[in-house]
Amino acid sequence: MQRQIPLILCLIFGIFMIVQFFVPHPYSQRAYEVVLRWVRIISIFALVLGVGSLVLYHSNKIKRKVSGWGFSIVTLVSAIITTLVGLLGVNWLDGKLVFFKGIGKSSVLQIFFQNIFVPVNSTMFAMLAFYMASAAYRAFRARTKEATLLLIAAFFVMLGMVPIGSAISPRLPEFAEWILSVPNLAAKRGILFGIALGGIATSLKIILGIERGWLGGGK
Amino acid sequence: MRVFEALAKIDRKIIFLILAVVIIVPLIKPIGLISKASTRAKAVFDAVESIPPGKPLMISIDFDPGSMPELYPMLLAILRHAFARDVKVIVLGLWLTGMGLGEQALTTVASEYSKKYGVDYVFLGWRSGVLPVVLGMGEDIKKTFPTDYYGTPLESLAMMSNIRNYRDIPFFISLSAGDPGMNTWIAYAQARYGLKMGAGTTAVSAADAYPYLQTGQLTGLLGGMKGAAEYEFLVKERGYSKEISQATQAMDSQSLAHLLILILIVLGNIGYLFIRKQTKKLGGAR
Repeated sequence: MQRQIPLILCLIFGIFMIVQFFVPHPYSQRAYEVVLRWVRIISIFALVLGVGSLVLYHSNKIKRKVSGWGFSIVTLVSAIITTLVGLLGVNWLDGKLVFFKGIGKSSVLQIFFQNIFVPVNSTMFAMLAFYMASAAYRAFRARTKEATLLLIAAFFVMLGMVPIGSAISPRLPEFAEWILSVPNLAAKRGILFGIALGGIATSLKIILGIERGWLGGGK
Repeated sequence: MRVFEALAKIDRKIIFLILAVVIIVPLIKPIGLISKASTRAKAVFDAVESIPPGKPLMISIDFDPGSMPELYPMLLAILRHAFARDVKVIVLGLWLTGMGLGEQALTTVASEYSKKYGVDYVFLGWRSGVLPVVLGMGEDIKKTFPTDYYGTPLESLAMMSNIRNYRDIPFFISLSAGDPGMNTWIAYAQARYGLKMGAGTTAVSAADAYPYLQTGQLTGLLGGMKGAAEYEFLVKERGYSKEISQATQAMDSQSLAHLLILILIVLGNIGYLFIRKQTKKLGGAR
């Protein structure tokens, strides 16, 4: 029964949503709105689950003193402080901390975001540029015909996509655009069709109860 | 032989150092390479230009500070364009970590044009669940976002009185760094509700947008920092803003960085091909 009810619900709602898409009647629209509201409510539980599992995972790491447990303390303390600061609407106004003033420009949440999260997150991604330059130098070698083709395409797209490319020759951006609009487009479209057909097949398997992995608990 | 070996095995520390110099120097002393607008960027600009004053433009912040150099200048330029033309603006986002950037951009640009919150622009913020949010707004924005980012009921905001769903949005732009983002809006808002939309993406994901440009599901595209610089160029050309153009300034660095990487790739291949030739020769001699 524990598995039968979710499977029946999945079948009913799956078929309903497919049929509903093609029926523009007001009753169908109203039913669709009700379903959407339910989905919104249910999706909030994902947030609760996420927070719960984050706390549980890091608490266990701290308890067991697993390697890197210090970082778990940082994670939990940061999460608690950020949540409290947001919930209590802590603001920094005229050199004083005031509460329940929302999460606008002067909020401590925004100050944290601008002065901690933005620099840390940006630094992490900025470092990627250096690794990518080094990786491109090492990996882009004309070892095979395919690699040579990739190398030539990358060469023209990289040069054509920056102003220095058009300064070298106005034809370069045009050629880069052609690579993106013709060979890239053809390949992307093929991939997209593949993904879409795979998505339809998987969805049908889930609706019809053939694919049951989403129920969890193995066989 | 040694020279070619050295070319094929340049130490990564040297690469890092040269790249740092190539990026930093143009930021301090700009070269002034101009990014003229491509047809894709012009299409986004024209779509915003065609919104009648008083009607809303909706922007979704689907990125976080990691993609800030490419997408944040787009957000600023689009906001400046809209506010200069008295177009109302609705901002929301599918990435929670991007909401602080929305707050920052709106506060900055709104004060430049003396725009009032609730009358000229609204910040909806973020709601949990991606699909219910995107699909829900197609039915009723106020039911999906009963309150804005600051907790103010949407019903109480003057600007939202005549806006119910996507039918009241003449143009929408997703500034997207990945998923959820442009693809989500195309699949659920454009395909289902016919929302007219454009996109701004990171350079690395610009190629993903081309199938949708060809089908007309995307009106236009701002691809990476170049796209942002192109939009800044158009906004300045029409005299909508005199502010410093972040992306245009950074394009010099990006141009030189691309050039450096290409030179390195060419040098690496010269070294590699020479060594391969020599190895084959030696193998043949044996």
